[in-house]
Amino acid sequence: MREYRLFNSILVITAFVLVGAVFSVAEADTEVNCLICHKHRGLSRIDEQGKFRLYYINNEMFESGPHRRNKCHDCHSDKDRFPHDPTVKVDCTQQCHIVEPSGQAKFSHKPIADTLSKSVHGKFDADGNPKKYQEDYPGCKDCHDQPLYRPVSVYKGETKDGVSKRSIGRCRSCHRTGYFAEDFYDHVTSRLRRGRFPMETINVCAKCHQNQEFLKRHELDDAVTTYKETFHGKLIALGSERTADCLDCHVVEGENTHLIESKLVPTSATNKANIGNTCRNSDCHVNASAELSSFQVHVTYERDKYPMQFYMLIFFKALMAIILYFFLALIFFELLRRLFPKFSFIKEKKTSDDTDFEPLSDDADK
Amino acid sequence: MMLINSGDKTMSKYDPIVMKDGKRYFYRFSAHQRIQHVVLFSSVLVLAVTGFPLRHVEEAWARPLYDFMGGPEIAPMIHRIAGSVLLVLFVYHTIYWIVGFIRNDLGKLKQENRLTVGSGIKAFFTQEMVPNMKDFRDIIHLWKYLLYFTNRPPRHERMSWREKFDYFAPYWGIPILGPAGAILWWRDEVSHVLPGWILNAAYIMHTDEALLAILFLFFVHWYNVHYAPEKFPAAKVWLTGYLTEDEMIHEHYAHYVQVMIEAGLEDEIKPQHFGGEHYEW
Repeated sequence: MREYRLFNSILVITAFVLVGAVFSVAEADTEVNCLICHKHRGLSRIDEQGKFRLYYINNEMFESGPHRRNKCHDCHSDKDRFPHDPTVKVDCTQQCHIVEPSGQAKFSHKPIADTLSKSVHGKFDADGNPKKYQEDYPGCKDCHDQPLYRPVSVYKGETKDGVSKRSIGRCRSCHRTGYFAEDFYDHVTSRLRRGRFPMETINVCAKCHQNQEFLKRHELDDAVTTYKETFHGKLIALGSERTADCLDCHVVEGENTHLIESKLVPTSATNKANIGNTCRNSDCHVNASAELSSFQVHVTYERDKYPMQFYMLIFFKALMAIILYFFLALIFFELLRRLFPKFSFIKEKKTSDDTDFEPLSDDADK
Repeated sequence: MMLINSGDKTMSKYDPIVMKDGKRYFYRFSAHQRIQHVVLFSSVLVLAVTGFPLRHVEEAWARPLYDFMGGPEIAPMIHRIAGSVLLVLFVYHTIYWIVGFIRNDLGKLKQENRLTVGSGIKAFFTQEMVPNMKDFRDIIHLWKYLLYFTNRPPRHERMSWREKFDYFAPYWGIPILGPAGAILWWRDEVSHVLPGWILNAAYIMHTDEALLAILFLFFVHWYNVHYAPEKFPAAKVWLTGYLTEDEMIHEHYAHYVQVMIEAGLEDEIKPQHFGGEHYEW
């Protein structure tokens, strides 16, 4: 640890000298200023907890991401001097310098954070008391690793990935200044499909819901592993984007995806009263009856919780074992028998009622 | 898997023994039965390559194989078509058997004025695919032979107990796999009649029975017709409909003796052996 700290100090001092040589004013205010250092791929340190921290910003990725119109300082508002003060965590709910076009108010993620706090993932219970193991409950960045835009183009009746110049041409004919047309196009079209590939959504949930220690602490079943056993999970693993991922069943149709509620809450998508309609939502099992929802998605094969599945599994495994072991043993001994075709503990002789039988002899082998 | 029909025995347009290049070949399957077998194994293989990538999603081969079979959009369609073909074949074969049974076995009894409920039932239970006490004796006999407690291998009739097992494997497999598959296919419609948890049951039935079927085919049936030293690389009876004399002696000695006697070739009956000889191709 001591060596790391030493290395760390040397790194910071080197960076300071380098920057100091170029700028006399030590302020990271504009994009250019930040990237002077943060464009370097190796910019990193081991922090006080011994964790490896990477400070490199890939500008190309940033420029194609959803936050590209924000300045560094919009989010990292505590960074007003160099060398930086000890970092304050970015607060996603603060107002940023972007004006939300429909209401002209400064944009903030606060309403989303409010929704999240009302959901099963909120850090406080209904009475406002902190939940047990509060630190396990997710904040924005636990799920959002800044997905890039995934724009789509529809042109001549065909939907393709990416931006079609012909599609965006219609926007550009009026919105000529700056990157407004491109930004708006990306913003809108990337929302025509889900922000993430279904597999990414599942992996996000898996961070906690497949983490065995976490599951034990919160007395939960392994929702992700059990989901992956279903046809929904399997098709998505094979590249389908058309079957249900976690959010499709756990968010009420048309509701904010951040409002995932426990199935015990009456408004929850998975509550007994609503789950029938959740399966039958407009994009999925439209023709099904509400009874379809008695299908059990998160089956753990525990005897007490899922007796039917448990006993069926035992039956089929036993059947398979009996049949296959019987025949595999038969094949094994049959091949072994061929090695010594003439040997036998008991030699049977020809009997009178057995006229056409001749035991294996040297003659018979020729 | 063997497709057996006793009707072809009596009504056969096939010679029981055919000589070719100085060798004897023994009739086993009609062209009709061979075509049914081709349809059966083609549809089963297609079902396997479009189904098992889903069952074993986590394996490295799953995604490439599934993509090769058309991916999540096309492969399920192919799977359902092949499944429908297999179900149709199942029904067709059942009708084929019933017609053969009525026309040949019951028809013969009627001609001889011996058709009663009792003789009809007896005719049913002496159908060559129906297991009988000799099969159980043969199993014990075989184990005695394999464990070197006798030098005399069992002598099977036209259908040995292994072939009967092979035959009834799809006959119990398809009624489990087929309806379960249909329920999973028509899940939305089925939900109006049956509760949703039936899909949980159908899912286990479909995947676990499929694994049993495929493992049985791959290890046991393919051993019988591909891997066994005297069969390798492949038996030909599914193409020609005829067994070689060595195969007859090895697998159906009782039947071999009977056919040879019926053909008036008592003097040329060869002694029994068990896989001791290599067959010529």
